[in-house]
Amino acid sequence: MEKEIKRVTLAEIAATFFMIGATGFGGGMAIVALIERRCVYEKKWLGHNEFMHGLAFSQILGPFSLNTSTFVGYYMRGVLGGVVASVSFIAPSFLLVCALSFLYFRFHQLPELKSALLGSNPVVIALILVAGLGMARKKAAGLESAGVAAIAFTASALFEVSALKILVIAGCWGLWKGWRTGRGR
Amino acid sequence: MAAILKLCGVFLKIGLVFFGGGYVLIPLLHRILVDQMHWFTLKEFLDGVALSQLTPGPLAMLATFAGYKAGGFLGALAATICIFLPCTLLMLLIASRYERFRRVDAVNHFLDGIIPAVVGLVFAAAVNLGVTSLTSVRDFVLLGAGFAVLQFTAIAPMAVILGAAVVGLLLHFS
Repeated sequence: MEKEIKRVTLAEIAATFFMIGATGFGGGMAIVALIERRCVYEKKWLGHNEFMHGLAFSQILGPFSLNTSTFVGYYMRGVLGGVVASVSFIAPSFLLVCALSFLYFRFHQLPELKSALLGSNPVVIALILVAGLGMARKKAAGLESAGVAAIAFTASALFEVSALKILVIAGCWGLWKGWRTGRGR
Repeated sequence: MAAILKLCGVFLKIGLVFFGGGYVLIPLLHRILVDQMHWFTLKEFLDGVALSQLTPGPLAMLATFAGYKAGGFLGALAATICIFLPCTLLMLLIASRYERFRRVDAVNHFLDGIIPAVVGLVFAAAVNLGVTSLTSVRDFVLLGAGFAVLQFTAIAPMAVILGAAVVGLLLHFS
């Protein structure tokens, strides 16, 4: 698989991902689409297929916008490229959260800010609900998956089973199911 | 210093079990930071989620906020590095051998099992947070309005959260 990989400087990787990290509002998938546009179509750093493989692995652990950045960086310049891409991608948000945290912990007693935050709280819960619904429609359609979702919900909401235990059990269930269908073929 | 080390330990652990995308962090972090460690009140937790949504970064920026509370800028830096360290290392490992990993079905099976559970956990988190923080008719009206806007329009979450904050500000919520 000797493919022509463009020689890209670390500075260029850093600049590209810093810009993506600073402008990629809209989260998750919106950012991945932006990375694809910049790196695959505009700069032609890697092909669409390689990008899609990277994206598939990005969903295992952690946020996939960050993981996709790491993957592209690695693809271009090895470990150093991967680290540069992920740090550059996170840096703008990190600085922004630090600034907002500073303001929050200093001023959250102010009545104006208190009112504003009280307005935002119910919407945060709405956001979580919408996210859950979106995931349910895309990834947990079908009776079996819906059953697992319902069991996880009950265990967590009513019986306070730790999220970690639930995730590990569900992962094992997935492995077992896969192993069973694999054997049946 | 001891506080920062403890912080690192907690966030490394969270970084290791952060499967299936950002929203699983809400149940995980809520349980650990609010119920177990008592680092946050529920209100601060919700405020932190709102703040992290004001950035382009993933929801995991909540770690930065938590770290900032525990140890200022240094704490924020430590928490951010720790929560992202496991996934970045894993990604580097996979990227270096991805030709071989490509056909490993086990990964897909594992994720197929986890994703529905994440959905259940996310709803459970919404209920847990809602039961304690939604206390008036006003809150439910905002919840309904926010839900409708987020579900049926393409307006970015950041704009919706800011909009709700402006509503709170103008109507002098207290």
